[in-house]
Amino acid sequence: MKHVSIPSGADLGALYRQVAGDYPKFFKMDVLSKLGFLLTEMLVADEANRFQPREDRAVLVFSREGCVANDRHYAASMPDFPSPALFVYTLPNIVSGEIAIRNKYAGETSAYVLEKYDEAQLWALVREAFQDRCTKSAVVAWIDCPSDTVWKADAWLVGREEILK
Amino acid sequence: MNELINELKLKVIEALNLEGMTPEDIDDNAPLFGDQGLGLDSIDVLELIVLLEKNYGIRLATPQEGKEVFKSMAVMAEYVAANRKK
Repeated sequence: MKHVSIPSGADLGALYRQVAGDYPKFFKMDVLSKLGFLLTEMLVADEANRFQPREDRAVLVFSREGCVANDRHYAASMPDFPSPALFVYTLPNIVSGEIAIRNKYAGETSAYVLEKYDEAQLWALVREAFQDRCTKSAVVAWIDCPSDTVWKADAWLVGREEILK
Repeated sequence: MNELINELKLKVIEALNLEGMTPEDIDDNAPLFGDQGLGLDSIDVLELIVLLEKNYGIRLATPQEGKEVFKSMAVMAEYVAANRKK
């Protein structure tokens, strides 16, 4: 399976210009969605028929802190003028939707908030996603970002055969 | 009016995170929404409503009203000039 990661504290704007550069909405995303977007770009950039709509690919994002970094920004804006742009990222599952929208994936999208990084639990949940017989591959990501500058961000592109072997 | 248009462009670029864009990149009369011009979306409308209230004391009653006001930078500047409270 293909694996990519983004080092904690990396310049995400520079990385965006390097691996994508054609999706200005990136700059409106919270750090969780930015990391999910970039990890997926790194995973699938070389695929044939990129952006061809497909229903056989799932997006499964796991984290511990969810979207807490953005929640703090939104909470800070509330006494003055609550920001609609921050509000839309106050759900930890938005990242999986952003990835699906960008890549035209219409398969399962899920976001799990786990107590801690638990490899066995994570891959058990991934195997569950392949039980529908429609899913042939999945973008799987562990993205834990307690702040805008500190994170653990890893992603894998996995196929049905290697998960259900 | 040109000064106000430029000021609004700077505020819009900052409020909407229009990375890498300068006031010169925004045509005064180009539509702000839809496929042409800036291509802003419905969340951006809400951010622009907040921007008007925060900076100029203008309260728009509904997002629909915003659609008229935010047709272009020139239209927005005319509205701000006529209705600003600060």
